[in-house]
Amino acid sequence: MDPHAAAAAGARVAAQPEEWELIRSVQKGDRGAFDQLVRMYDQSVLRLAAGLLRSSEDARDVYQEAFLKVYRNIHSFRFDCSFYTWLYRIVTNLCLDHLRRRKVRKEDAAVLETSEGPVNRMDSLEEQRALGNPERSLWNRQLQDRIGAALDELTPRERMVFELRHYQGLRLRAIGEVLGTSEEAAKNCLFRATQKMRLALGDCV
Amino acid sequence: MSCESVTRDMPLYLYGELAPEEEERLEAHVHGCEACRRELDCQKRLHRALDEHAVEVEPALLAGCRTDLMRAVRHMDTPKAARPGWKETLFGFWNSLGAMRQPVGALALVALGFFAARFSMRPPSQQSGAAVTPEAYAYTIRSVQPDASGRVQIALDETRRRTMVGGMDDENIRRLLLAAARDEANPGLRVDSIDLLKSHAGSAVVRDALVTALLRDPNAGVRLKALEGLKNFASGPETRQALAQVLLTDENPGVRVQAIDMLMQQRDESLVGVLQNLIQKEDNNYVRLKCQTALQEMNASVGTF
Repeated sequence: MDPHAAAAAGARVAAQPEEWELIRSVQKGDRGAFDQLVRMYDQSVLRLAAGLLRSSEDARDVYQEAFLKVYRNIHSFRFDCSFYTWLYRIVTNLCLDHLRRRKVRKEDAAVLETSEGPVNRMDSLEEQRALGNPERSLWNRQLQDRIGAALDELTPRERMVFELRHYQGLRLRAIGEVLGTSEEAAKNCLFRATQKMRLALGDCV
Repeated sequence: MSCESVTRDMPLYLYGELAPEEEERLEAHVHGCEACRRELDCQKRLHRALDEHAVEVEPALLAGCRTDLMRAVRHMDTPKAARPGWKETLFGFWNSLGAMRQPVGALALVALGFFAARFSMRPPSQQSGAAVTPEAYAYTIRSVQPDASGRVQIALDETRRRTMVGGMDDENIRRLLLAAARDEANPGLRVDSIDLLKSHAGSAVVRDALVTALLRDPNAGVRLKALEGLKNFASGPETRQALAQVLLTDENPGVRVQAIDMLMQQRDESLVGVLQNLIQKEDNNYVRLKCQTALQEMNASVGTF
């Protein structure tokens, strides 16, 4: 399940007045405050982008684009939602654009052509794979490949909700806020995603 | 509750998204239904397999992203007119010298020769007990100013790479390790530095650095090393305060588990509150179980009233 979210969410709630102070400083042009604000969230942002796009280059692009958007538009932040929700809205929109473009182009996200031949993009991202005897490693590898393929079969929106709930640990209500939809719609989307995953992978776990 | 609706609710149950009474109904049904129990076990295994598919972001990738972002932000903030290219800068400066071009050029060559000689011939020197060996030398010229007598004043920044060798009791070595422990660009260097410093946590300065690393370092490996260093000082009020903060804010469950163990070395009333608070927010099953056990050991209730 989600290893990161609850504690981070607790910290976010507790740190809100401090955070708003920081945002006001950024709005006044304090670049140091922007750096501080970035560091509060950038690990989560990069993890979300890398998890969704499964490509370190694309994750890097989304990171840069998202925070530059924040920097350019911070003056329009009106404190009517949490900064976290605002930031995640930007990041998820950018990621959804990437995922949709990928679907349209039927791009093979896993393979990157280099001067040294095709390279698996995921090799540059460290996955938590089980170590052990070779047979088990091979089995795990195959299972992970099937999981990757099953995730690719989800629609961009299902993929997003699943990533936010399973890997980022956001509650369904927060996911609804980030994606501009209701908690119920997020719940239905999660249900469809988990059902597809169960059908695709139920026989191998 | 039918098997169909139980199966439908299972994913929400596993994500902790069911209301308590729905959870209880589902658990009661699963308890008495073999088929649903098997299905739930299967879904739990699927969850675990999916957990292993999580992507861990390399610290180097994060560091690269931060550097690129700050560079882009600086670029955005600089007005275009204030951003001449290096060629324009160089030619502009050269043209402005007028008749002084020849002596300035000659002196620049002399300076280049002087620094090249220093780079290749500088002998090892001693500094405060630590052996120092120069290994590389680079400089950047900031300004070149001719004066009326034909001489030139050159302002430059020197960057020198040296190797220092010394014991952990050497003040210079310790000062450099403390600086290395804050090096944002290199998490490996921070891990190594904290690892060395942790055996000297008796010093208040080192302890401060360990607490800072524990609370602020983005790398979980560094934070775990800092925790190891603070183990013998877990009863100190500052360390306990930091540990309590870690429990509520650190995103890494391994770090949170270590923090619970250290806080449990000295059980007090304030710890009960922290653990009760944590258990409300904690999503990691193992950490929650750890909290629960700790509270039971202190004869405290799991919930708050």
